[in-house]
Amino acid sequence: MESRFRLAVSLLRNLLRFHPRPFLIAVGGASLYAVCTVASSYGLGFVIDEVVLPRFQSGVSDVSAYFTACLIVIGIGLLRAVGVVFRRSYAGVSHWSTSESLSKKLVRHVMNQPSMWHQRHMTGDLVARIGVDSDTAAQVLGPLPFSTSVVLLVFLTSVWLVVIDVPLGILALVVIPVLFALNLGYQRRIDRHYDSAQEALGSLSEAVHESFDGVMVVKAFGAESREQQRLAAISTKLKDARIKAVNARAVFEALVDGTPSMVNILLIVAGAYRVRSGSLSIGELSSFIYLFTLLVFPLRIIGYLLSEIPHSSSGYKRVTEVLSEERELNPRTKFCETSDGKSVQLADVAFKYPGTNDFVFEHVNVEIPSGSKVAVVGETGCGKSTLLKIIAGLLAPDSGSVAIQDRKCSIVFQEPFLFSGSIRFNVTLGKTASNEQVQSALWVSACDEFISGLEEREDTVVGERGVSLSGGQRQRVALARALAADSGVLLLDDTTSALDPATESLVIERLGSVKRQITTIMVASRPTTIRIADYVLFIHDGVVEPLSTHEDLLHSNVAYSKLMTSFEIDRRQA
Amino acid sequence: MNIDTEGRFQAARVIGRGVNAAPALKSGIGLTFVLALLGTGARLAIPVLIQQSIDHGLQPGKIDVSFVTTLCAYGAIAVLVSSYCLREATRRLGTRAEVGLFALRSQLFDHIHRLSLEDHNNEKRGALVSRVTSDIETLTQFFSWGGLGLLLDGSQMIAVAVVMLAYDWRLALVAFITSAPLVLVLRYVQSRLVNAHNLSRQRNADFLGSVSELIAGAETLRAYNAEDQMIETVSDSMSRRKKSNVRAGVIGAFLFPSGEVFAVFTVMAVVGSGLLIGPSGGLTSGALVGFIFLTYRFLEPIAEFTEIIDQVQSAVAGLRRVLGVLDTPIGPPQTLHPQSLPKGKLSIDFSGVSFAYSSRLDADDDDTPVLHDISLHIPAGQHVALVGPSGSGKTTIARLIARLTDPTIGKVFLGGVNLVDVANDELRRRLIVVPQEPFLFANSIAYNLLFAEPNATESHMSEAFSELGLSDWLEALPFGIDTQVGQRGSSLSAGERQLVALVRAFMVKPDMLVLDEATSSVDALTEVRISRALERLARGRTTISIAHRLSTASRADRVIMLENGRIVEDGPHSDLVAAGGKYAKLFDQWLISTGSGEVE
Repeated sequence: MESRFRLAVSLLRNLLRFHPRPFLIAVGGASLYAVCTVASSYGLGFVIDEVVLPRFQSGVSDVSAYFTACLIVIGIGLLRAVGVVFRRSYAGVSHWSTSESLSKKLVRHVMNQPSMWHQRHMTGDLVARIGVDSDTAAQVLGPLPFSTSVVLLVFLTSVWLVVIDVPLGILALVVIPVLFALNLGYQRRIDRHYDSAQEALGSLSEAVHESFDGVMVVKAFGAESREQQRLAAISTKLKDARIKAVNARAVFEALVDGTPSMVNILLIVAGAYRVRSGSLSIGELSSFIYLFTLLVFPLRIIGYLLSEIPHSSSGYKRVTEVLSEERELNPRTKFCETSDGKSVQLADVAFKYPGTNDFVFEHVNVEIPSGSKVAVVGETGCGKSTLLKIIAGLLAPDSGSVAIQDRKCSIVFQEPFLFSGSIRFNVTLGKTASNEQVQSALWVSACDEFISGLEEREDTVVGERGVSLSGGQRQRVALARALAADSGVLLLDDTTSALDPATESLVIERLGSVKRQITTIMVASRPTTIRIADYVLFIHDGVVEPLSTHEDLLHSNVAYSKLMTSFEIDRRQA
Repeated sequence: MNIDTEGRFQAARVIGRGVNAAPALKSGIGLTFVLALLGTGARLAIPVLIQQSIDHGLQPGKIDVSFVTTLCAYGAIAVLVSSYCLREATRRLGTRAEVGLFALRSQLFDHIHRLSLEDHNNEKRGALVSRVTSDIETLTQFFSWGGLGLLLDGSQMIAVAVVMLAYDWRLALVAFITSAPLVLVLRYVQSRLVNAHNLSRQRNADFLGSVSELIAGAETLRAYNAEDQMIETVSDSMSRRKKSNVRAGVIGAFLFPSGEVFAVFTVMAVVGSGLLIGPSGGLTSGALVGFIFLTYRFLEPIAEFTEIIDQVQSAVAGLRRVLGVLDTPIGPPQTLHPQSLPKGKLSIDFSGVSFAYSSRLDADDDDTPVLHDISLHIPAGQHVALVGPSGSGKTTIARLIARLTDPTIGKVFLGGVNLVDVANDELRRRLIVVPQEPFLFANSIAYNLLFAEPNATESHMSEAFSELGLSDWLEALPFGIDTQVGQRGSSLSAGERQLVALVRAFMVKPDMLVLDEATSSVDALTEVRISRALERLARGRTTISIAHRLSTASRADRVIMLENGRIVEDGPHSDLVAAGGKYAKLFDQWLISTGSGEVE
């Protein structure tokens, strides 16, 4: 209980740091509401004692008393409504502003982390933390001002009830600890069911996702009914947990509804004695009971408010988990300047993935002459892409140094990522670029072929992740992006493999015709691509062989010639 | 206003249809409603007790405590009974909702599996998943909170109105007339609130979309130092989301206390009328005081409506999407009178088959192959390779044979039986498709094999590996057949996934195979294993291969070359090469593109 309280205090302190003003206004509105609520019971007592009873029991009609009563009751009612409007509006502002601040902070932090960090984190998880958890964390600020008004209300009402009549007041206040205990007991019980329901929901959506992902296999093997049974088993767990929760809730609702009514009945009986002994008027008794009913409503829902705290605090924890991760260094800040005539220089570079023991490669010493075409060759999984990412400054080597001409290079990934904007946006990525630059990049990458068929040409929107383009077209747009960045070193990770041979040779030909001297380093798996390269960088068994030509390697390196022959096997079988 | 009423009408229809789709939702709803009405009794007991006490027990100078006590004892019993009824109503509604939504979810899941592949393209997959998960969740939320609230609040208003009329019809009329304008206010604010909520839902979705794009593209942005521009875009969508949500909150803030505001006016109108009617009109002070309490009770539920309106909208929107999926016809449709296929190997016949994707408007898209009037006979046991440029219709022919889709015009026969007359279960036992990028479930290899053949034993499985010549590969795996393959088989290489898919197909011992060859490059050793396994798998079966490597085509009994949805050449590999036509040219090109310097 105490730890829960401490948790709540530290959570609120952290959240309120961002936007204290709207929160304070909301609390002000909530206080106005609480004060008016207590005052309204006074208004009701006035109506009964000064207006209703004189008319019915003594036959006195006092018009001015009626209008005074109107003024009091309606005035207090309107003021109370104003309090509610302020409380709810500013509670919303407080919640959403804080949630926005948290998201912004997260986005900036996450986007400053290098690739290595992103590879360790699942995209979906990060999106959930930025988009959902930041909101969950701030959610408690919504009902919180109301909670403070409940506390104030309970305090004022308790005092007022005791002021009206001491014994009756003490009897009425018994309901507070009772409802509080009911709430706590219920929360504890229901949390268990909700947790298991949440768990079942998680595995359900995982199963559904996988099953639809594999719909082709499901159809091919006629496994629709079997899949449905699998889902029904998980779905049943969810249903059972929820039904248990509903049962617990039904009992709680009934108790929380019935208990105050029972106390109320006791108050009427006790009130009758007090009226008989002359210590209480009938109007006072009525306003007492009215006040009591007003007290009950917020007490009934305080449990829900309390339950927001652990919910929000788990959201906040997931937010801070990301924020507290140290900002890792951008490997590019350690790039050196190359010596004359060289575009890339790796000196004694070693790299291993964190959490693994074996180096992908060690003692890599490579110098690539400016303007040359280099093919990176090796078996699947030998580290070709890793080497390219080290050169691109996306991965940091564990030791050794990397030097890049002008400290700037462009990389095209094996699976290019396109943003949902236009082709032009995907080429410039929002940076300022002249139309000529864009056009020439699109021409070299042979995008002009398919763009000319599009109604809005390079302003065509490509859809989420470029869905409206084919794989080869996406590759070409990504290549245009790399060319538009105008750097001297171009890194292609098996980029041209998705193109048909004719387009591939066209792209390579156009690359050669560009005025500027570009060093092209490409991962190659097609013999044709290897043949056009000036040099080959062969990776084998964790060793990056010295830069050499295709012919030399073929004659001097057994592993290389073996690999080349394996490319041939398929062809020879024909 | 017109559109609004129409929208509401539609909403009612959507809810009606949803209830019909999940009948458990409405079973016993009458009794539940009666229980809910009785359940609100506890809230009514207090005003009635106060009136009775004031009128009969608490007259000045004539305080009858024992009368009040007896009265309150009855009241206590009434409260107990009504609390019990409330519990029952809550329990019944909640349980039925869970049972009904469970059924709806299962129905939906099964229906989605039986939709055509066109409906299953990648773009729509996420949407289909959220139909079964988040949309159904919205409905659950609605039934367990908003739905229950509506039921109880509605019952409370009805019950209070009845008691008011029973007390004094004149005062009741005054109360109803004074609070009537609230209906107009509610309608006005409600429609704005609904729009505001719709907008913030939209903004929220936009925001999540832009964040997910930002994170997924993080490496690309980093590679080009373009983070700042994209962060700007995301920040914009963030503040749009905030604004729309704050706006919805402010509108709700005005709606929330409207019931209370009307209550104070109504109370004073009732008191004023009560004073005018007076004791001579048959009114008692107790009745008037009781009436004041009843008026507050009558308008109390309005505040809660504010919270429920949004839930109703979300639920209706979710339900509409769910029904939209259930309304999508399954594809291809199943026959009611299935005919069985002949035993053994099967022949294939196409008679005048044309095919066009009906759902796509951009018919000249790269991925939209169209077939024109194809007629074809493939004898039982033949191995046929389909070749041709992408978009020529190879994949469509394979899909038609596997009845993953039906021809627009013409018929496809398997063993002489029209495919539309074959039961799905039989077809799936006799014909297996191995797709280009085979999907593996995130489980063990054994699980993936059992998926094809649930009754297979461990020895069946290892036998299958040895028959396809893959025992050495299996033995090299750390946990053999229990090796976990990871999400979509990601722990295995692309080539290894192919191997598992081939063994999986072999488990079924089909009479016919449709193979879509992989285009991705795999290492040499796996390549050898794949071709060996393929050869053994195809042995003794009618086999259709979509060949991307022409080495596969050269090994087939027959090559069919397609171009723009038409068969342009058809015959054995050697004949076609000798004839020097289109296929010969394609083959030459392929030899060159795969050749290395040495062979030149």
